[in-house]
Amino acid sequence: MTDGGRCEVRPAPQQEKVDKGRRRFLWVTGGLGLAWLGLSAYPVYRYIAPRPAPDPFGKEGRAAVNKVAPADVAAPGSGANGSYGQRGCIVFRTTQGELRAFDSKCTHAGCNVNFAGDRISCHCHGGVYDFEGKNVAGPPPRPLTPLSVFEENGVLYVAPAEKKQEV
Amino acid sequence: MDESTRDARFHAVPEEAEQALPCADSFAGKASRAFLRRVPIWPVIDFLARKKVPQHKHSFWYTLGSMGLFFLLVQIVTGVLLMIYYSPSQPWSSVQRIVMEIPFGGLIRSIHHWSANLMLLALFVHLFSTFFMKAYRPPRELTWLTGLALLGTTMFLGFSGYLLPWDDLSFFATRVGISELEKMPVLGQWIAGLVRGGPDVTVDTIGRFYPLHVVVLPLLLLSILGVHLFFVQVQGVSEPDSFRALPPEKKKYHKFFTEYLVNEIPIWMALTALLVALSALFPRVLAPEADPGAAAPEGIKPEWYFMVPFQMLKLFPGSLEFLGMALTGLIPVLFLVVPFVDRTVPADRRGQMVARIGIGFLAFLVGMTVWGWMS
Repeated sequence: MTDGGRCEVRPAPQQEKVDKGRRRFLWVTGGLGLAWLGLSAYPVYRYIAPRPAPDPFGKEGRAAVNKVAPADVAAPGSGANGSYGQRGCIVFRTTQGELRAFDSKCTHAGCNVNFAGDRISCHCHGGVYDFEGKNVAGPPPRPLTPLSVFEENGVLYVAPAEKKQEV
Repeated sequence: MDESTRDARFHAVPEEAEQALPCADSFAGKASRAFLRRVPIWPVIDFLARKKVPQHKHSFWYTLGSMGLFFLLVQIVTGVLLMIYYSPSQPWSSVQRIVMEIPFGGLIRSIHHWSANLMLLALFVHLFSTFFMKAYRPPRELTWLTGLALLGTTMFLGFSGYLLPWDDLSFFATRVGISELEKMPVLGQWIAGLVRGGPDVTVDTIGRFYPLHVVVLPLLLLSILGVHLFFVQVQGVSEPDSFRALPPEKKKYHKFFTEYLVNEIPIWMALTALLVALSALFPRVLAPEADPGAAAPEGIKPEWYFMVPFQMLKLFPGSLEFLGMALTGLIPVLFLVVPFVDRTVPADRRGQMVARIGIGFLAFLVGMTVWGWMS
């Protein structure tokens, strides 16, 4: 090539010489090819698409708290980390005697916060929450998700905070 | 005589090859000629035989790439060995079995861990030595870009492998890592859901990370590595400006085959010794099994190569977090544009400025990493 491959000096294609049948064939095979790829990709995508998490509160609208017994949170100021379903929670009794629970997933980067007696803190990036669940220091952007908590037949249960049940 | 000499389906052996090959009566001579008649690749063999490596005071820095390659080979061998007993449906207990029951299991796992770390270290030093030697300048932009892709793939390999033992460190590290990905605008949530397999890190996430770690990412890495090494072979090794300025009679070279390669062997042996020593003195611990409900363990930190984003997360709290992550995301972009900003050989004022910025940037990365490690 003597023109260095520059586009503007290439001869324009002669319209009347275009073989219409050939062009149509290329469009059809191209379209079919894309459809074939799309059809193959769809089941693959559905296969690897994320699955919804099971509702931790189930049909009953509540979940038993594991690893924390009512006796662990009987005294004012006491509390512990527990879990419900596949999620973590903290359950504690305020010095005024109110039983409270929060989902323990830190609103910053998703670690589980720790009930440390005098405060609620996160070991990952140093976030701190008060006993209202409010983010008071460090990087967390939002308060913890509150849960309602109650005891029934010697077992602690948590439920979504808006469906507050009798304590 | 081979029947192939009289048959048009076969190729003629070039005259230079006839000169260079062992004599035609020997077995090696017959075999090599028969091969070349079938597969006419004498130009490739000749090219490789002539390959030479410049010899100068900076030569040490040129072995970093081959060190990375050595650690990659160790990763493949130890990784295949770990796969024999690892079970993604019982991740923690199968790793515990490797460490506690299988002869040398703990050693092989520790070597896999240390070799991963040293591979990344070698690649980072390789990156900065090619940066300061300005080897990225034309015509080697594509070698630089494929090198960055290799580093990125290796970091993803590190991240995906970290989750597999399913201990509490790996669980929370993965949860934090993916939750940062999730905050990326537009596609963040979709990608995060896809890599986790759901709204949270569960054993399903291992189902994804395991094939990524042992099949998808290694194939990707090896493919990019092939292109990277192909470019290095075709273009030859870059010469630093100080070497290029020498008069021809003062330029010394090693032949790659086999002079240079033989000199690498002691380095590879020393690295093997280093891996075994590190693994024996500082074996990789298996922390308690991940409990998605428990509090994150105290003093939790990522591996050193993710310490910069870790520190940025702590430094940019609350609503500033997006800014911190955007700045972290800018780091690879800076590296990507370097060969298109600094192009002149020998280095001009702009080139010197790029080098100075590079020194500052290296100090920033090292500083953040040490700070994160000490905090």
